[in-house]
Amino acid sequence: MNWHHVLKLISVDIKSGRLIRGQRLRRYRESRVLQYVMYGGSCLLGIAVGLLVGTVYSGVTDPEMKTGLLLNVKVLFIAAPTLVLTYSLIFTMMRQIQRAGITASIQPPYWLPITWGEHTLAAIVANLIGVQLAALLAIVSTIGTVSIFLGETPLAALTIFALLAVALLASATTEIFRILQVRLTGAVYKTSGKAAIWVRFFGSLLLFIAFYAVYFFFTSGANFVAIIDVFASGQTTVWFIPYLWLGMALFSFMNSRVVDTALFSLGALAFLGALFTVAVKLNSRFGLYEPPAIRISREAYAPRPSIWSRLGFSLPEAAIMRKDFRAFTRRRELMYFFVLPILITMIFVMSLTRTPYFEASSVFSALILLVPGASMALMLGSVIIGQEGAPVWHLSSSPVAAESLVKCKFAFIVIFSCAVTLACSIVGILIVRPSPTLMLAALIESIFLIISLSAVSLGAGIKGASFVEVPRPRMISPRAGLINTITCALLAGVILAPLIPYAGAMLGLLDPPSQSYTSLALAVSGAIAAIVTYGFYRIAVKNAEDLLAEVDT
Amino acid sequence: MTTVFKSAVKLKEVAKRYADVVAVDYVDLDVRKGEIFGLLGPNGSGKSTLLKLILGLVKPDAGFVNVLGIEAAENPVAIKAQAGYVPEVPRLYEFLTGMEYLDFTADLYNVGITEKKARISEYLKALELEGREGDMISAYSLGMKQKTALISAFVHRPQLLLLDEPLSGLDPRSAKIIKDLLRELASKGVTTILSTHILEIAQAMCDRIAIMYEGRLLAIGSMEELRAKARLPGSNLEEIFLTLTGTSDIRDVVEALME
Repeated sequence: MNWHHVLKLISVDIKSGRLIRGQRLRRYRESRVLQYVMYGGSCLLGIAVGLLVGTVYSGVTDPEMKTGLLLNVKVLFIAAPTLVLTYSLIFTMMRQIQRAGITASIQPPYWLPITWGEHTLAAIVANLIGVQLAALLAIVSTIGTVSIFLGETPLAALTIFALLAVALLASATTEIFRILQVRLTGAVYKTSGKAAIWVRFFGSLLLFIAFYAVYFFFTSGANFVAIIDVFASGQTTVWFIPYLWLGMALFSFMNSRVVDTALFSLGALAFLGALFTVAVKLNSRFGLYEPPAIRISREAYAPRPSIWSRLGFSLPEAAIMRKDFRAFTRRRELMYFFVLPILITMIFVMSLTRTPYFEASSVFSALILLVPGASMALMLGSVIIGQEGAPVWHLSSSPVAAESLVKCKFAFIVIFSCAVTLACSIVGILIVRPSPTLMLAALIESIFLIISLSAVSLGAGIKGASFVEVPRPRMISPRAGLINTITCALLAGVILAPLIPYAGAMLGLLDPPSQSYTSLALAVSGAIAAIVTYGFYRIAVKNAEDLLAEVDT
Repeated sequence: MTTVFKSAVKLKEVAKRYADVVAVDYVDLDVRKGEIFGLLGPNGSGKSTLLKLILGLVKPDAGFVNVLGIEAAENPVAIKAQAGYVPEVPRLYEFLTGMEYLDFTADLYNVGITEKKARISEYLKALELEGREGDMISAYSLGMKQKTALISAFVHRPQLLLLDEPLSGLDPRSAKIIKDLLRELASKGVTTILSTHILEIAQAMCDRIAIMYEGRLLAIGSMEELRAKARLPGSNLEEIFLTLTGTSDIRDVVEALME
């Protein structure tokens, strides 16, 4: 193991991570002193908190209270490794999801004289660097400082060792998942056919949903103290899980079981070594982003008119829509667009199940029907042109008129967003069971929002299209994205404004409006949406003319 | 406003600059119908920009562009419908299979289903891509991507071909097929403008050659005309090129590198 190589690889990984997060490499950011400020600050913060807690502890004179406090702190020490394991897993996996789909960031420089061991170790360590390491340093500093006041230095030392080891365990696990993901997606990446498309689509969807379900389980509204109690008491019953052995070592140490402490500690280290070995083996076998091609299916070439052609779209328009559909079901970086509405629905549903007025929460049900489709229209519209990336020359060099381009992109956004609304509405309606009037009104408004926001976002998406693909597909300039979001929010407010009395009644603030008022409000809202759509659609066509006249990637 | 022209492409006083860099410096050019016209020049001399200007991918800062009798400023879509283009680095949609990609580009040019199927199959066979058309483009080698891009430029039977380094990455057999195909198309009146660094290809394939340097056309003509202009009778294109572009000090450069 060449440690110089490992250090160099870590620094490269950190730099690529910054680039992927969209940070520009400025001279001050490259300053090593400034890079360490965050970690130094975390240590200082941890020491300050430790001093505060220690001073408070020293000031307590009541022996019973002092014993109780000491016991609580010890419980916290025991639970700390499992807590750090959880948050390290979440953060390292989030980081990997963020980097998914960016070939350059995960393609090891295999042609250089670097071993897979060095590469794997660097990846594991680099994955922890950043906020995770800062938080870890703060916790470690606090524990170290507090232990001096408590007179529990040996326990604190073991806890600190456990925390550092458990962070590496989490990162090694993430590295194994990352390689397996590269293997799976890489294998499917080079294949074609309907089976591959659906494998890719549902595989990515399941990964995201599973990850965020775990994330929300741990983060939404859970009581921190309750979690600590669960971890501290629960881990003794599931002692056979190697990830908990470090916590078990601390538990044994606290109960003066020296042999158990040594066994669990050594076992945990052996487990870490085993994970590292597995990661190295997997990396050496599947680590490269583009493994040999695997063919799942090959259909005979039989061109036929697509469904879009039958719906009145011209051949070029239908071709662009078909291509966009494939892009959104095959490109990993575009998978986020499927995930967001699902997440929004999940958040609403999880919030609903926690409210005591579950059946009466009609505002929530209206939001489930309104928000996913509208947010999908906003997002899709803003990136539908920029996602073309460098191959955008196909559109500019082919005889596609601006009107055609806008027509097919607009139709794609509206159809896609309506499908999302439909799917989310079914879930919402089944769970919340809103009144038929509310359901109908919300669905109609959702369609109004989708159509108008699609036009608004498409105009902005064309104007601010960014075809930059390195280090990551940008799709829209940050400025255009921000302006578009604000404009959409304002216009959505204007479109929904006629229904304010209706919303007021749902919240119990106003008397319920008459049925005729609701119909009139919907009509007015529709008229506003139509005006907005027409105006911004024309703007989109004008922007498309400018784009096609000079798009040089 | 389509009229019968003997010229396939006519450029008058066309200029284009990117910030401080002059890419094309008031160029006049007349490319005849059915001609294979070569654009030669060192890196950054403006060849690719000139091709983009002809196709209307970039707007000229000054001058007029007329392609197949159509004013580029008036009806760029009509020009694009009759042209086939392969950029220097053809970035394809990597998430499509080769067949899906060709299907997509043929549809962009409104090629009917029957012709599309026949033509694509024909080209796939000729360029030895048959059997690999169901693979994702991301799995293709550089040469296979280049062949796919070339097929997409030919599939709608264009009247004008604008090819930027068309033989880059191709194996000798495929390169020969493309060269013969271009010659065959030229005999049927299809105009080809190609830019290349490979002087042998230009010398062997092109009816006329233009040598570009720093955005200007230093010389235009057949090999004989270029020899006369460079005052190098009996010389090959390399000697003419180096003389005209003032880069004949190569020996000094190599010697300096070896020191």
